[in-house]
Amino acid sequence: MRLECNNLNFTYPGSKIAVIHNLSFSMKNPGFKALFGPSGVGKTSLAKMIAKSAFHGNGEIVTEKMDKILYSYNLERLPGWSSTGNHLNKVTSPEKQPLKEKLIDIFELSDVLGSRFSNLSMGQQNRMNLIRYLMQDFDLLILDESLANVDEKLRETIILAIKELFSDKMFLYISHNLMEVSKFCSQILVLGKSVKKKDCFVIDGQDAKKGYMLDKIKLDKTMLEIMNAF
Amino acid sequence: MLFRRIYQFLIVYIIGVLFLLMIKTGFSLSDYVIPGLALIFETAGQVTREYFFDVINTLSVAVLGQALSIALAFTVGIAGRKSSWMGSFIKVTAYNIQAYPIVALAPIMFILLGDGFVPRLLIASMICYFPLLLSVLGIMATPVADIEHFYIVTDRMRWQLEVKIRAFENLSKLTTVISGSATLAMAGTIVGEFIAANAGIGYSIRIALYQSDLAKILVALFMIGIIISIYQGILETMGEQIKTKWSISDKGGVL
Repeated sequence: MRLECNNLNFTYPGSKIAVIHNLSFSMKNPGFKALFGPSGVGKTSLAKMIAKSAFHGNGEIVTEKMDKILYSYNLERLPGWSSTGNHLNKVTSPEKQPLKEKLIDIFELSDVLGSRFSNLSMGQQNRMNLIRYLMQDFDLLILDESLANVDEKLRETIILAIKELFSDKMFLYISHNLMEVSKFCSQILVLGKSVKKKDCFVIDGQDAKKGYMLDKIKLDKTMLEIMNAF
Repeated sequence: MLFRRIYQFLIVYIIGVLFLLMIKTGFSLSDYVIPGLALIFETAGQVTREYFFDVINTLSVAVLGQALSIALAFTVGIAGRKSSWMGSFIKVTAYNIQAYPIVALAPIMFILLGDGFVPRLLIASMICYFPLLLSVLGIMATPVADIEHFYIVTDRMRWQLEVKIRAFENLSKLTTVISGSATLAMAGTIVGEFIAANAGIGYSIRIALYQSDLAKILVALFMIGIIISIYQGILETMGEQIKTKWSISDKGGVL
């Protein structure tokens, strides 16, 4: 499983400044990867280019053993005419029903399955949206701030559970939480705005798994590397 | 909602009558030009029953015409929602045709179809059809990206689901447009009757006009206003009930 971008460029129509400029990187193997950087550096644009959902820039995106790429983001909504539980059932195949039940339990959403989406808190909405994506067939799932507004403890539980239950899939996690990406991701693509420095760096993260023992020195080193990269 | 509509109409109607009475008093006009309150009440006693049934007759045609135009507007709006060649063609055609005053076509219909139910129905539906179509086209052609994204990327999007999402997300707008088009349908029917029909309140107003009987016209306006207010109020209440039914949790709870 491989995701590689070669000399990727993207400029918004009507703009003279390139959001993505000569970006090249490679990510291999399943697991949690991260896209990290300040606002406006082109994380979402890059994610959409990878998912081929919206933008078509110049350059090459090579995917190996990745037939299905899904892009999810934190402002998505479920239709309001039915309960969230009904919507989840409709988009889950029968063979994945047990997994769905397990995820609902881990994501702490059992109590709100009878509620409409608009009646959920923002954190619950994001978790509900993420579950329905996890119920789909995919090889790479891009999570664009998909766990925003979820408390830190539950976010950690969710990430560790996803890593365990979907160990053969690749995830590209877009987040502004430095500690989180350093701790849980195996590779972190850091996008920066600096014109003097290189435009991106791929840094190895701590890739913590369930029952992990945190090596604070290594974690600090990763965080420092990320901070120095932009 | 219903009572608000009625008292809003009563306020406007009373202000209108008071304004006429002020002109009558100010210029010392006779009852022949502007009738006094006593004559209005006397005329009301004579024609209210007849006019009530005339308005119901007109309303039935208007309701049917409105239903026809809603069905047509949704059919064309759904067909024209895509940014394909056909969708663009339907949109451009709709925008251009609606620029032509439909009332001007009414005489042609009466010449071709005669004085009867069908031309009244056609005029009513045509007059409220285009504003409805433009609204439905606008709503159906605007994607609700936050909801539709998932269904598109997972290949689950079907045209029925797309229409359902867009209609649900714009339910308030649709309800407002549909209840507003009731007035247009009523106006269209009355105009049709006024031009050449042989039934309905428009026909009765035409007779009153030939008799220069303003009291009868005022009574007719009162009947039209009250009944259209009730009809619009019912439509709005129905819209509210649909919205409430769709948005309340299955368990009835709001978190």
